[in-house]
Amino acid sequence: MATSMHLSRLRKWFLASPPIEFAITRLKELLISALKQGPVPRHIAFVMDGNRRFARSHGIETVEGHNLGFEALARILEVCYKSGVMVVTIYAFSIENFKRSKFEVDALMEMAKVKLVQMAQHGDLLDRYGARVRILGRLDLLKPDVLAAVNRAEELTSRNGDRVLNICFPYTSRDEITTAIRDTVVDYSQPIKSANSGFGNSRTPFSESHIAHNIRAQSLGTKVLDSSDEESTSESSSTQEDTAKPKSDPTNTVYETGSSFSSSSTLHLSETQDGKYSPPSSSPPTAATAETKSKPNKPLFISPETISRQALTDHMFTKGNPPLDILIRTSGVERLSDFMLWQCHENTEIVFLNVMWPEFDLWSFLPVLLGWQRRIMKSRKDPDAEGDFDGDGDSPDEREDTEGVAVAGIASGRGEKVKSL
Amino acid sequence: MVSKRDQDLLRGSKLSPADRENILKPYLPDPADLLSRRQSQRRKKPLRKAPIRTFLRSQLHQLTYTLIHIFFGIAVRLLQTYHAVVDRIFAIVYHHHRTPELIRKDVKGLKRVPEHLSVILQLKKEDDALTVLMDEVAELTAWSACSEIPTLSIYEKSGILKSYIPTLHRVITRKLSSYYGSPSHQPILQLFAPHHPVYNNLQNGTPAHKLNSNSITVLLLSSTDGRETLVDLTKTLAEMSQNDKLLPEDITAELVDAEISEITTQPSQTTPPARKGDPDQPIVSVKPEPDLLLIFGNFLKLDGYPPWHIRLTEMYCTGDRSDGTTGYGEAVEYQGFIRGLWHYAGAQMRFGR
Repeated sequence: MATSMHLSRLRKWFLASPPIEFAITRLKELLISALKQGPVPRHIAFVMDGNRRFARSHGIETVEGHNLGFEALARILEVCYKSGVMVVTIYAFSIENFKRSKFEVDALMEMAKVKLVQMAQHGDLLDRYGARVRILGRLDLLKPDVLAAVNRAEELTSRNGDRVLNICFPYTSRDEITTAIRDTVVDYSQPIKSANSGFGNSRTPFSESHIAHNIRAQSLGTKVLDSSDEESTSESSSTQEDTAKPKSDPTNTVYETGSSFSSSSTLHLSETQDGKYSPPSSSPPTAATAETKSKPNKPLFISPETISRQALTDHMFTKGNPPLDILIRTSGVERLSDFMLWQCHENTEIVFLNVMWPEFDLWSFLPVLLGWQRRIMKSRKDPDAEGDFDGDGDSPDEREDTEGVAVAGIASGRGEKVKSL
Repeated sequence: MVSKRDQDLLRGSKLSPADRENILKPYLPDPADLLSRRQSQRRKKPLRKAPIRTFLRSQLHQLTYTLIHIFFGIAVRLLQTYHAVVDRIFAIVYHHHRTPELIRKDVKGLKRVPEHLSVILQLKKEDDALTVLMDEVAELTAWSACSEIPTLSIYEKSGILKSYIPTLHRVITRKLSSYYGSPSHQPILQLFAPHHPVYNNLQNGTPAHKLNSNSITVLLLSSTDGRETLVDLTKTLAEMSQNDKLLPEDITAELVDAEISEITTQPSQTTPPARKGDPDQPIVSVKPEPDLLLIFGNFLKLDGYPPWHIRLTEMYCTGDRSDGTTGYGEAVEYQGFIRGLWHYAGAQMRFGR
């Protein structure tokens, strides 16, 4: 034990000596710059596991273990952002962790607050990474003081570059998926009218109905153009009055448009309605007009059939981020533990490493990156081979689309097979 | 070891902001670097100052990149060779010889056996891919039955197996008979997919004559049971909400969990055909969350596996995390299966039984 202590101290002294330190820094720089020559993952997620176990096995306090973990995070963030990774997501605190003892939860919360306050104190340091901090999770479960720290950290880094550091704070993936479903449902159960009433009140320079009239007029010819032109002007004037006295005037205009264009398509009618009127709850006349047009006396909704995987993805906490390329979990636990379930089940490479998080550094990260690069390059050369990642070449939307097509193709193929059977 | 100085440094509460900055400093990019980056983003002039140096530097990086990948490739190949050798040795030492007793012996010493095993299989691109896939499923079912794993779910992305359930059932029964012998010694086999009724073998040989009381349930999953199912659920919920039958606040993780579990792990409740209209048909109960997920491949990729249920699932990949030179995933072999079980139980593989 004593000799190993001496040896490690000797090694530390050796590594800390200026020429060696310089050489190592150069080497790291060279490696990172070299990595940039190949494909680089755009989104990496880490489960920082093993801080406590590391502390226990090294006979230091848990808090120190967490601090060492923070240092390891700084180390890895440097590598990631320097090599061109756009988004790094880390798992800091699970909702399940609230079930631990109150003492421990309080300690963890206190630590999180301290870390966030530290970040806020060193806004310039994060600025040098060029990364924004975003907290993903159930912020409503946090105590006010922690929440304040969260908001401050987010606000301080909000002007930083386009890189993102996602901190999953009280987070579980199931909760995220549920929230996404709920938000989608809320979005789709808003009547279209009330959704549009937003710009009905705030004055827009162009009126939708006016544009629609013009298009229609152009396609129909000059005669109609005259009449519709008059009407549209009267309408636009009424739009302006709309805000002032919304009670009587709109009814008339609606009636007029409705009668004069009774031959035109219902789509057009609904457009004029959408563009112009306040929500049905506030103005009873709208309901009357709807009846005159033999429309169901029911608010209009977007059809739920238009909900797609993309719609759900857009309601996840990670919306707008590139798809997850690599997920790394340290400490040899081979479970996802409710982290990034939705994001990482497509093409993500999941890596379980047998090192504790505080020991995690460039040298254990490098093989993962190199292996990923190899696979990407191989799949680009031979796209039919197994493990066909798309790399960082094309957009997630494209990917989603092609996949949808593929699924549809398979489904139709299956249908045929069923028939043939 | 953490030195005394570091220990002092790392006691978070005692650190002043300046100390903390010092800890972070070695890992931060050089401010000058950042400045130059920003400048170069705005205008390309600073780069022109030393074109030769920039060129040389980029060449050096390219060279280093190539070299690293050459050496990494060599290392990967060596590792692969090593693993291939170990694999063969295991394959020889641990062979099932189609004997349930031998498999049972391999599993006997384990602390725990998964209640629900899930396997990701891939449909290959050859002409006989479907036959191969069915044979793999049959082998896996036989091994699981011998290891007394009650539930096995097979994930195959395209879902082609779902349209061949009767054929697959026949293939598995044939395989089981090659392991167990006569039908009365075979475990009860139940085969189904989400939205499909249970297909079981009660029609040949009444259950009363069964000597083997074990049963195995095989569940076929495909990528449509994953995200698509969640999308379908959202559609239904949105429609209900639009018709004022449901408040968005009612959507909780428990509700989603119950619905998704029901849909993906319960057979559809249509009345079974008359020939197997047994009144006391065993009720299918499947634990929705798999305990162990086996991936026969070189690296861990879920490939569209249903996301909801795998939050606590242990994952085991039979490959060695090297790249796939064989083109496809690894072959489905018994030693991979048994290694997965050993890994799940937290035990080490040993040479020799």
